[in-house]
Amino acid sequence: MKNFSFIDKFRVPTYDNPKHMKTADLFFNPRKCKQCGICVKICPGGCLVTDKVAKKDIFNDMKKAVKSGVPRVDVLKTGTSLCIACFDCGAACPHGAISIKRNFDPKHFYKRLTQTAEMVYPKKY
Amino acid sequence: MAPVNTTVGEREAKITSADGPIVHPDRETLSPLGQYEAGMPWNPVEKVILERRSIRAFKKDPLPDSMIKRILEAGRYAPSAGNMQPWKFIVVTSPEILAEMEKDAVKVIKFFTFFIDYTRGNIIRRLLILSWVKWVIRFMKNKLHPVPFGLMSQIAQGKAPVFHGAPTLILLVEDKRGVASPPTDIGICGQNMVLAAHSMGAGSCWIGLVQVLMYLPKWRKKFGIQYPYTLNDCIAFGWPSPKADGMVPREVQLVQWYERGMNDAPRVTKQGE
Repeated sequence: MKNFSFIDKFRVPTYDNPKHMKTADLFFNPRKCKQCGICVKICPGGCLVTDKVAKKDIFNDMKKAVKSGVPRVDVLKTGTSLCIACFDCGAACPHGAISIKRNFDPKHFYKRLTQTAEMVYPKKY
Repeated sequence: MAPVNTTVGEREAKITSADGPIVHPDRETLSPLGQYEAGMPWNPVEKVILERRSIRAFKKDPLPDSMIKRILEAGRYAPSAGNMQPWKFIVVTSPEILAEMEKDAVKVIKFFTFFIDYTRGNIIRRLLILSWVKWVIRFMKNKLHPVPFGLMSQIAQGKAPVFHGAPTLILLVEDKRGVASPPTDIGICGQNMVLAAHSMGAGSCWIGLVQVLMYLPKWRKKFGIQYPYTLNDCIAFGWPSPKADGMVPREVQLVQWYERGMNDAPRVTKQGE
């Protein structure tokens, strides 16, 4: 179990610094992806985008193309993304094209102490 | 004790593991309620709990009134400390009011992010804001956590909506005079309603950003939020479009088990592995 140190208590991470924020890493399999745009539509923070549509386009029924393109995680100027590893996109994807590699874990003040980096499906104990 | 064949609602085929087989819900076996055997399949209640995802894309047509009443019934029967039921439900279905709420929420969020969002704009703005914003974050640690911070930044840029275009909102108004910890009771009550809704095929999403409307006297007056009431949470309900319920991987949790003497260290297990 990780410790929450005295320094951590006062050090607030910079939210757009990749060294302070470990955001989730999604992988979109371009062979399985049918470019339906469902994941872009349900992403909580609007952080999934494709080259053709963003969440607001679908939200306003302005989706122009039938095929929306293979999605990717939107990245800020400094290199961090806003993905929080909820994996709603993966649960909704009808083709199973999305997989997740890491969890969301900010550093310092918002450090998560009992969550480990492994992501597993519910287990029948 | 043979598992019986039951289905919860109508669902499309779901993937049960990252690369595992697709199990059609009609062929999926569920355990009966009221029994336990090690390693048995999920029972319907567990299935609803584990497959519940926060739905953020809804159809335009609202839930029928009778169904909203049925969902509220699940909330009314939630456990609360001292049976004080420290809640008041406000159902908003008027498209006009919902649109107005969305507009005002975006306005307030835009106002605040102008002062605190250092992830946008040029270097001068960034350094200027960074010089003091971390103090604000430290003292508003829950409201300015990286997750809501990022979301508010997206909302201010017009990239994400606040209320997700939901046709029905249930505001969970908390009575501050409840026994022990009224926010806990509100959480239990809301989760009861959410699970009831998902078991009937509807979708739901908790929205804490409704708090930003409480900065405007207009909305406090409209919904009657004054002492002893306070509004911290609301839940959006509606028919999901697309159906997005399904199981997801979660982080393995470290759990401490105190099962020996007073001087012994706890056993730490990995929950889920």
